[in-house]
Amino acid sequence: MSAFLATNTGFVLLTLAQSLALIVPLLIGVAYLTFFERKVMGAIQLRKGPNVVGPFGLGQPFADAIKMLFKETIIPTGADRVLFTIAPMLTFGLAIIAWAVIPVNNHWAIANINVGVLYLFAISSLGVYGIIIAGWASNSKYAFLGALRSAAQMVSYEVSMGFVIVTVLVCVGSLNLNDIVLAQRKIWFAIPLLPLFVIFFISGLAETNRAPFDLAEGDTEIVAGFFVEYSAMSFALFFLGEYANMILISAMTTTLFLGGWLSPIGIAPFTLIPGVVWFLLKIILCLFVFIWVRATLPRIRYDQLMSLGWKVFLPISMGYLVLVAGVLEIFGWLPNA
Amino acid sequence: MAKVIVDGIEVEIANGSSVLQACEAAGKEIPRFCYHERLSVAGNCRMCLVEVEKMPKPVASCGQPVADGMVVFTDTENVRRARRGVMEFLLINHPLDCPICDQGGECDLQDEAVSYGRDTSRYDEAKRAVSQPDWGPLVKTTMTRCIHCTRCIRFSTEIAGVPELGATARGESMQVGTYVEKALSSELSGNLIDLCPVGALTAKPYAFTARPWELRKTDSVDVLDAGGANIRIDARGAEVLRILPRMNDAVNEEWLGDKSRFSVDGLKRRRLDQPWLRDGARLRPATWDECFAAIAARIKAVAPSRIGAIAGDLMDVESMFALRDLFTSLGSGNLDCRADGARFDASQRQFYVFNTSIAGIEDADAILIIGSNPRHEAPVLNARIRKRYLASPTFIGHIGLPHDLTYPAMHLGTDPSVLAALTDGSHPFAATLRAAKTPMLILGAGALARPDGAALHAAAWALAAQFNMLRADWHGFNILHHAAARVGGLDLGFLPAAGGQDTRAMLDGGVDVLWLLGADNADIAAIPPETFVIYQGHHGDAGAARADVILPGAAYTEKDGIYVNTEGRVQQGFIAVKPPGSAREDWRIIRAASASLGQPLVYDTLAALRTRLAAAHPHFAAPAAFRRLAATDLQGPAPGQVALSNAPFTAVAANYYQTDPISRASPTMAACVAAHSPADNTNFGLAAE
Amino acid sequence: MRRLGRMAWALVLAEILGGLWLTLRYFFRPKATLNYPYEKNPISPRFKGEHALRRYPNGEERCIACKLCEAVCPAQAITIEAEPRDDGSRRTTRYDIDMTKCIYCGLCEEACPVDAIVEGPNFEFATETREELLYDKAKLLDNGDRWEPELAKRLELDAPYR
Repeated sequence: MSAFLATNTGFVLLTLAQSLALIVPLLIGVAYLTFFERKVMGAIQLRKGPNVVGPFGLGQPFADAIKMLFKETIIPTGADRVLFTIAPMLTFGLAIIAWAVIPVNNHWAIANINVGVLYLFAISSLGVYGIIIAGWASNSKYAFLGALRSAAQMVSYEVSMGFVIVTVLVCVGSLNLNDIVLAQRKIWFAIPLLPLFVIFFISGLAETNRAPFDLAEGDTEIVAGFFVEYSAMSFALFFLGEYANMILISAMTTTLFLGGWLSPIGIAPFTLIPGVVWFLLKIILCLFVFIWVRATLPRIRYDQLMSLGWKVFLPISMGYLVLVAGVLEIFGWLPNA
Repeated sequence: MAKVIVDGIEVEIANGSSVLQACEAAGKEIPRFCYHERLSVAGNCRMCLVEVEKMPKPVASCGQPVADGMVVFTDTENVRRARRGVMEFLLINHPLDCPICDQGGECDLQDEAVSYGRDTSRYDEAKRAVSQPDWGPLVKTTMTRCIHCTRCIRFSTEIAGVPELGATARGESMQVGTYVEKALSSELSGNLIDLCPVGALTAKPYAFTARPWELRKTDSVDVLDAGGANIRIDARGAEVLRILPRMNDAVNEEWLGDKSRFSVDGLKRRRLDQPWLRDGARLRPATWDECFAAIAARIKAVAPSRIGAIAGDLMDVESMFALRDLFTSLGSGNLDCRADGARFDASQRQFYVFNTSIAGIEDADAILIIGSNPRHEAPVLNARIRKRYLASPTFIGHIGLPHDLTYPAMHLGTDPSVLAALTDGSHPFAATLRAAKTPMLILGAGALARPDGAALHAAAWALAAQFNMLRADWHGFNILHHAAARVGGLDLGFLPAAGGQDTRAMLDGGVDVLWLLGADNADIAAIPPETFVIYQGHHGDAGAARADVILPGAAYTEKDGIYVNTEGRVQQGFIAVKPPGSAREDWRIIRAASASLGQPLVYDTLAALRTRLAAAHPHFAAPAAFRRLAATDLQGPAPGQVALSNAPFTAVAANYYQTDPISRASPTMAACVAAHSPADNTNFGLAAE
Repeated sequence: MRRLGRMAWALVLAEILGGLWLTLRYFFRPKATLNYPYEKNPISPRFKGEHALRRYPNGEERCIACKLCEAVCPAQAITIEAEPRDDGSRRTTRYDIDMTKCIYCGLCEEACPVDAIVEGPNFEFATETREELLYDKAKLLDNGDRWEPELAKRLELDAPYR
């Protein structure tokens, strides 16, 4: 290990710097996403949202963070202390490490690997562990119920999500995320694959346990679901993890369907703007839709959730995969053929 | 019998009954203010109007006798209008001060105004207001509220027999009062408060303290005299706020003596709320364990024949039973429940109970009262004698200090020599007794406490036998006790065993360790200084002052207990509040002491104790069952060694109001003493402190 | 055919898009938020805020210890003890309201025959400790003295409807 470090000092330092350059803005982004959500929700509900701490209430996320930090962490009697402590860290950690493969600009990824999509998919599937461990370790029936709901829900939606991604891969012919973005130079996949784009986005809502699929939390029925027993910093970690996941799914949507860092119109004034800005704008748009949907739609029933996943999304995504593959084969548009 | 049809319901009722009674028999509620079952009919409130067929106007049902075939309507539009009108007139001069009136919430006028009155008032002229006379320390007057029903006047004239209330002036100027402002002198004056249908007469000591809906009501039995009046204890939180009589026709009807009713504030003062132990010249606060250790050390150091126990006047049967068991197991026969030092033959129950029974007084046609002042010793029982006197001609003779007994009684003499004169027929009252069909004799327990008590006991029995009082169908020999615990103790045999010492002997140094079970009325001063005195009781009274160990017990409101009244009626009282501080129920204390003495009693719960009590004395098993004794065995009580003397009878207590630790601690009772004997109020009767 | 139409309608997410359109319009509407504590709503004369015990203009306390408020209080938040005052009038020696129990229903106010206990317009009486919310008679009378002009006005405004 030390030998590796000695020989590759430059590489290690670079990677660390890259990671910091990604994680710090990401965390700040997460903090301001909570603020953004409260503001947008407030506006839709004819409220002003937080506006007391700092100018326009911009200090609110930090006030909340300080509050969370200084609260007492309570570990319930009968809880599995180790798992109870690990669960929020796991959730948060998984939401962060997935970012390693996301290209924010051309070849701007910490790890521009050839199996980027697989990696992303694997990491996002692991997210369910944090929730199940939290629900189990809390030794509380609400938490347990929330965890079970969450597990079934995430597994169900990952199936159709998988088929959607496969469809995209069929069109690109590469698992490298950079290649996927570059493949959309002519046209964003959101347009030819519109139904899949919608399915992917909705499944993303389900995958991140966001409204209207927030049955795992279900404040009004199981009080907060899997993290009902969490408080203070461990609660904050769950919270951050959830919002980081939101950003991650938005980034995936952007990368897979909205042309990543590419400017919407490939002519002069737009192409001069750096790709990072386009990438961020697209993510923000996705996040706005996330919040917009939350402010609009009520939570759906669990059986409806399951029937939507298995009876609607799965057939449509499978059928569309066959259709796309067929079209590509017939017209000889298959990449790398 | 008359047949009456009330609202279509046919009832049969005795001739001479009122229409109101017929309506009640039919289950119809008739509103009333002036009418009361136990008082004469006045007919002045007009609230009980009903319609009777073939009568032109509504009639006052309380005063209208029934006639055969009468058809009565209690709920026609006419009746309702008439009641509304009457209620409106009553309310014209009744102030709208319910929020500051103590009767609020238990007021007949409130209830009936809601049920039968108009919804709003049409009256906006000035209302009548009158001054508030001072009727002494017990009854608070607000005569502006008076609706002139005259129940109070009739009660004091008829039941109490102290005709000091009356109405002056007429019409709107009419006022109920004492003519000359004075304190009420009846021992039953508290009943005026119950009778008053409005808030004109309320309880002064209870003024403004609570509302009826706040109170927790507990049924119990009065212990401040031997009548065993049924009471209801009204408590809020840990505090007993008032005591009211409970209806029991066999005992107290619905009356209660003032001492029993108003001594409640004594339950909060001078209480023993923790154990004390004598340390040199002074008592110091101690723990229960220290006290039991001290008791055990002393009792084990002396022979069983040198320990003794005296039970006091307010004790429940259970604690006396437990103490008797404890002393029996310790091998001591030095027990006596007659704290007043009386010595008489208690070998048969008929020798020491009120055999005629209280209700039986109403069957007597001649009554001879010997050495007793029932007006002070049992005012409710005295009211029963007066009721008998009012009902039909009854000849009443009285031997003892001359008193106003509230009914005319022939004063035969002040000393026992009269008994001899009656026996040989030389006294004119002898002829009266001989002519009587159901004569009865009441011998005061105070007389039995004389040195010649046993001889007096035997002489009275002989007199009863001679004048045909002892028959299978009529038992006219009665002892009127003044201590609630006495008959219970005698029933238990809380008496010197063979070779045991009695109260007098124990007090005079016959024992080295003396257990006083609430015996404050014994001759405490006679106890020699070297005697180790254990006092178990609830008030810091005479016994506690002399004690070497004080075991804080519970007063009668603070424990479940069985009491036997003077007629031998077994009654049960229930716990209303917890004893203060570390005080405990008395039987529990004795149970704990028995454990530290190495002779643990076999019962751990009150239920187990009662089971054992019922096994040993079967009449405690069924408290409700009460039977008058028939005089079958004419063999009288043993006359004792002291010959009958001719010393005059004396009063049992200096006054009516302060006879026991509770009433001696009561400021209200002290105020009564001050009001009624101004010459004797220098120490408010608290000399024992 | 209708069924097919409904399915197509659902397939293009028409209802959901309609809903989203509605909320989007609300997003741009003027906001209803009042900038409390700098802005405040007007309060009805019947507003049920902090309790106060009133006095007569001559300084005599109104409460006559009738205990009707104590009896009517559904939360049993009121505790009253009374005894005759030296002048013989019926007065409370203790009048406590446990503001942590109180549900601000206003029944005490309605039960009071002398308008002594009232719920005033003040709703800003948060405290730092729980004990400070256990009001005693002195605190309530002090409230009454402090708010009397408003309280009298409120009662006057509400009088025609009582």
